[in-house]
Amino acid sequence: MPELNPVTSKPIEINGITVDDTFAEAFGMTGSSLIITADTIKWARICATVVTGFGTSVIGCGAECGIDYEVSPNDTPDGRPGVRVLMFGFSPDALTPQVKNRVGQCVLTSPGSACYNGLLGTEQKIALASGVKFFGDGNQTAKKLGNRRFWRIPVMDGEFICEDTVGMTTDAVGGGNMLILGRDRTGLLETTEAAVHAIAQVPDVITPFPGGIVRSGSKVGAKYKGMFASTNDAFAPTLRGAAKSELSDDTIAVLEIVIDGLTSAAVANAMRAGLKAVLDVGASKGVTRISAGNYGGKLGQHHYHLKELV
Amino acid sequence: MSALTLKLKAAPDQRLDLSALSPAKMATMSQSEIENLAIGTGRRPVKLGDLFAISGTPGDTLVIDGATARLDGIGSELDQGTIIVEGDVGAYAGRRMKGGRLDIRGTTGPYLASGLRGGLVLAKSAGDLVGAPRVGERFGMMGGIVVIAGDVGERAGDRMRRGTIITKGRFGPSAGSRMMGGTLWTETGFGAGPGPLMRRGTLIGPSVERLLPTFGDAGLHDLNVLRLISRYFSSELGDLAPKPLPAKVRRISGDLATIGKGEILLTA
Repeated sequence: MPELNPVTSKPIEINGITVDDTFAEAFGMTGSSLIITADTIKWARICATVVTGFGTSVIGCGAECGIDYEVSPNDTPDGRPGVRVLMFGFSPDALTPQVKNRVGQCVLTSPGSACYNGLLGTEQKIALASGVKFFGDGNQTAKKLGNRRFWRIPVMDGEFICEDTVGMTTDAVGGGNMLILGRDRTGLLETTEAAVHAIAQVPDVITPFPGGIVRSGSKVGAKYKGMFASTNDAFAPTLRGAAKSELSDDTIAVLEIVIDGLTSAAVANAMRAGLKAVLDVGASKGVTRISAGNYGGKLGQHHYHLKELV
Repeated sequence: MSALTLKLKAAPDQRLDLSALSPAKMATMSQSEIENLAIGTGRRPVKLGDLFAISGTPGDTLVIDGATARLDGIGSELDQGTIIVEGDVGAYAGRRMKGGRLDIRGTTGPYLASGLRGGLVLAKSAGDLVGAPRVGERFGMMGGIVVIAGDVGERAGDRMRRGTIITKGRFGPSAGSRMMGGTLWTETGFGAGPGPLMRRGTLIGPSVERLLPTFGDAGLHDLNVLRLISRYFSSELGDLAPKPLPAKVRRISGDLATIGKGEILLTA
C-alpha cells in the first residue's frame, strides 16, 4: 500500500484544496505507438477504440493502451483521418505480442483501416507485419517508399495496408498518478473528468483506465493466495473505522488517474495539466484533497512530487 | 554552398568516362590532382584539364557545363552532394548512385541510373534501359527516385527491385521488363507490351499501347496504397511530383507467365 503523508510532510492548500506533500511513483516501461487511419474519422475512432480495448493494466491485460490524439488527414501517411494510439508493456518481449495480436485481431478486421508507425526514429522496433502479412496467404506484396516498407494484404474491402515495423522505446513511463478526494461523488467525478480532458491535450501520454479514471485503487498483495493486488483499504471510504484509513470523515469518494507516457517529461506535463484542472474547478465541486500513490520511493525509478507540479 | 564548375572546351574525339568525378572526392583534391584525373577511354590518354575549363571552389556541388552525349558515367557511385549537368549525357549516368542529387538538364543515353541504390536523379528525357543492370548483374534499381520530364526509351526498370522511376512523358516499349519490385509511374502512358516477365512491382499510368497476352484484367479497385504513394512523392519531390492518383484505378495483373504478382494500374 502506498505510504501517504508521513508525519514529516507539509501539505499545502491551493484554491481551498489540500495538496499532499507526496509524490507519484512510476515505473520504467516499454512503449509503442500506431497511427490508425480509415475512410472516415468515425471508423478510425472505432478501430482505435477496439485495438486499445481491455488495456487498462499490464497486470491483467498484458498491455496498457489508449488513444493519444486524433491525427489530421494532412499528417497521416495516406491522407485519411487517423488516430494515434499508445501501448505500454513491462518489456519489449511482453509488449511485442500484444501489439501484433491487437493489430491482427482489431485493425486488420476493421473496415477500411490501415496501420502505420506512430513512433518514428527509435532504434528498437517491433516487426509489426511479421505475422499479419501472412493473412494474405502468399498474395501479400510490399511497397517500399523511402526507408519505410508497407505491406499490402488482400482483404474483402480491398487491401489492408500495414507498415512493416513500428517504433518501440524503453524510455517510457507507466504509473504516473494522482488521487482526487472529495465529499461529493458527482462533483468529484466531474472534476476528475475535467482533469482527464486536460491530460488528453498533452501529447505522448494516455490514461488507460475507463474514461481515464480508476475507482479501484489497489494495494500490493492480499490475504488470499494468488491475488497480486487488492482493494486500497486506506482509501476505501466504507472501510473507514474498520481499517487504518487515510480519509477524513467527510471524504465520500476517491478517484485516481493513472498516466502512462512515452517519456518521463510527458508524464510530468500530463500530471501538471491534470493537477491544474483539479485545482481550477475542484473546490466548487466538493473536492477536498489531492494526493498520489507511491511505494516509499524504493520500487519505481520515476518520482513526481505534487508540490513541484502545482 | 561552394561549387566547382567544369566547362567543356571542345567536342571530345572519344567517349569520356567521368565516373570518377564526385563533389565529395574532388573537395579533398588539389587543383592539379583534379586537372590530372584520367577520363579517357581510348588509346590516347586524356586528362580532365585537357578538355574542361575548371573554375570555382570544390564543395558539395559539381557543375558540368556544355555536356554532350559522349560523356559517360556522370554521377556514378555518388553518395552525397549535387551534380548539375547542363547539356546531354551519354550512358550510365547515376550508375549505382547511393545518395545525393544528379540533375541532368538534357537527354541521357542508355542505362541512366543503372543499379541505382538511393538519391534523386533528374533528366529531361532518357534513353533505353533506365535503371537496368549491366549484363550479368542480378538486379537493376534497388532504391532511389528517378524523375524524367519527357519520354523514356525501351525497357525502363529492367530487373528493378525497389525504387521509383517517374516520367511526365511516356515509357517506351517493354517498360518494367523482368521487374521484381518498385514502381514505374507515367503521366502520359506506356508503350507496347509493358512488364514482360515481371514478377512483382507496380506500373502506373493512364494508358497502355498494347498489353501482353499474359496480363489479365482484374477490374476496378479503390486502393489505399495509391494515396500512400501520392502523398509520399508529393512530400518527397514537391513541384517535381506527378499529379495525385485518382481514387479508383483499373488493375491489370501479370506477368502471368511468371508468378504474376505484378500490376499495371490504369488511372484513366
